[in-house]
Amino acid sequence: MQLKISLAAATLLSALCVQADDYVSFEYLQYDENKNRTSVSAPSLIINKDFGVDYTLNFSIVADAVSGASETYYDASSGASAIHSRGTNVSQNDVKYGNVEYDDNRVAGSLALTTRFDNRDELTVGLNRSNESDFYSTELSGEYMHYLDESKNQSVSFGLSYMANQILVQCSATGTGSCDTLSGGSEEETADTISTQVSFHQVLDSTSFTEAALFYMQEDGYLTNPYLNVVRDYNSGTAKIVGENRPDSRSIYGLSLKYAKAINDEFTTQASYRFYNDDWGINSHTIDTDLYYEPSSDWLIKVGLRYYTQSEADFFKFEKDYFTNQTYASSDLRLSNFDAVTYKSYVEYKFSDDFSYNISANFYDQSTDLSATYFMTGFKYKF
Amino acid sequence: MKKHIIFYFGIALMLSGCIENVSPWEKETLAKPTMKVGGTNSLAKKFEEHMYYSKEASKGGSGVAGGGCGCN
Repeated sequence: MQLKISLAAATLLSALCVQADDYVSFEYLQYDENKNRTSVSAPSLIINKDFGVDYTLNFSIVADAVSGASETYYDASSGASAIHSRGTNVSQNDVKYGNVEYDDNRVAGSLALTTRFDNRDELTVGLNRSNESDFYSTELSGEYMHYLDESKNQSVSFGLSYMANQILVQCSATGTGSCDTLSGGSEEETADTISTQVSFHQVLDSTSFTEAALFYMQEDGYLTNPYLNVVRDYNSGTAKIVGENRPDSRSIYGLSLKYAKAINDEFTTQASYRFYNDDWGINSHTIDTDLYYEPSSDWLIKVGLRYYTQSEADFFKFEKDYFTNQTYASSDLRLSNFDAVTYKSYVEYKFSDDFSYNISANFYDQSTDLSATYFMTGFKYKF
Repeated sequence: MKKHIIFYFGIALMLSGCIENVSPWEKETLAKPTMKVGGTNSLAKKFEEHMYYSKEASKGGSGVAGGGCGCN
């Protein structure tokens, strides 16, 4: 009897000690690719507010300023842009591959409300919105987490989201339908994505847990990149530079596995693996590991390593003398066979219980010749 | 697909031998920020996922809510 009272008291005490996780966090990102390709400056803000122990509201906003260039094929003899010079006959010597400049701004926001029920199951509903000059995205999502045991060591989650995208495609010299071929106007395309995920969370002991997930996504609509070109009929003597063309649907499934372990009071490690497959012929494997070191209660240091490898899409060819009349064609290196490694570092310092500052430096290196550095700095204030 | 399910089932079987029942008052370590799925800094995680989304062909596995981008 005495033991039961003690256990009940301990449980009650731990419940009373639950503190609200109210904070505002600001981060600034500077991202730069090699060869004067894309640069991104992005300030962002997140606010998390608990309302009692049953509701949590999370709001975030990010503003990206993107500038630089994408690499694609273009007509070097034309004064027009890579898009507006499409479709005309080009001599072989004038077919070039290189940077085509662009700039863009993106503002994206998200709002999520988590509700906890009497049995402490959780329902999170969210709304995401992203605006660019030529791309608008709206996403609704919901996720339900159900505990499978009294000690709350096992849980299963079901997630579902729907994303609707609007894409403004600039008319090329060979624009079709309602596209105004002369004024450089644009026409609207749409694409939808349905995402589902089922995940299982298991506490292994008082210092470790694992999580396994199965996900499926279905994309339909305009999935082509409107800015990228391919070369057709190169061997005919007068090549044509035209926009790439991707299938208008993609089915995706994958599996992921996560593991976290507090080795001792100072060191914690997290590791994850993801397998990805789609019906464009792409398979990928991702291994991500992070090691946290807390030398004191004020300092947190993290180093991480991520390895990624993917196979190429069925309709990808980089060579300019390959495509003739194939329906689907892309020379986008993001659809190629490549490996990538990310080296990550992160330092956080707590000035007080309520205020912390962080800075991180990271390097991303692809076997396609793309590399990037990105730095982040910011603070977190608990209120 | 089948071999991946077998792989995960095998891992689950191995882990089942390691599972201990952990009481609520023994979860102090599990509640540490460094044990949070996705890490201690959710904004930094969002940045990274957005970068991978725009530079690689794969996506998914980190929950259903992500948001989209034109990603030139």
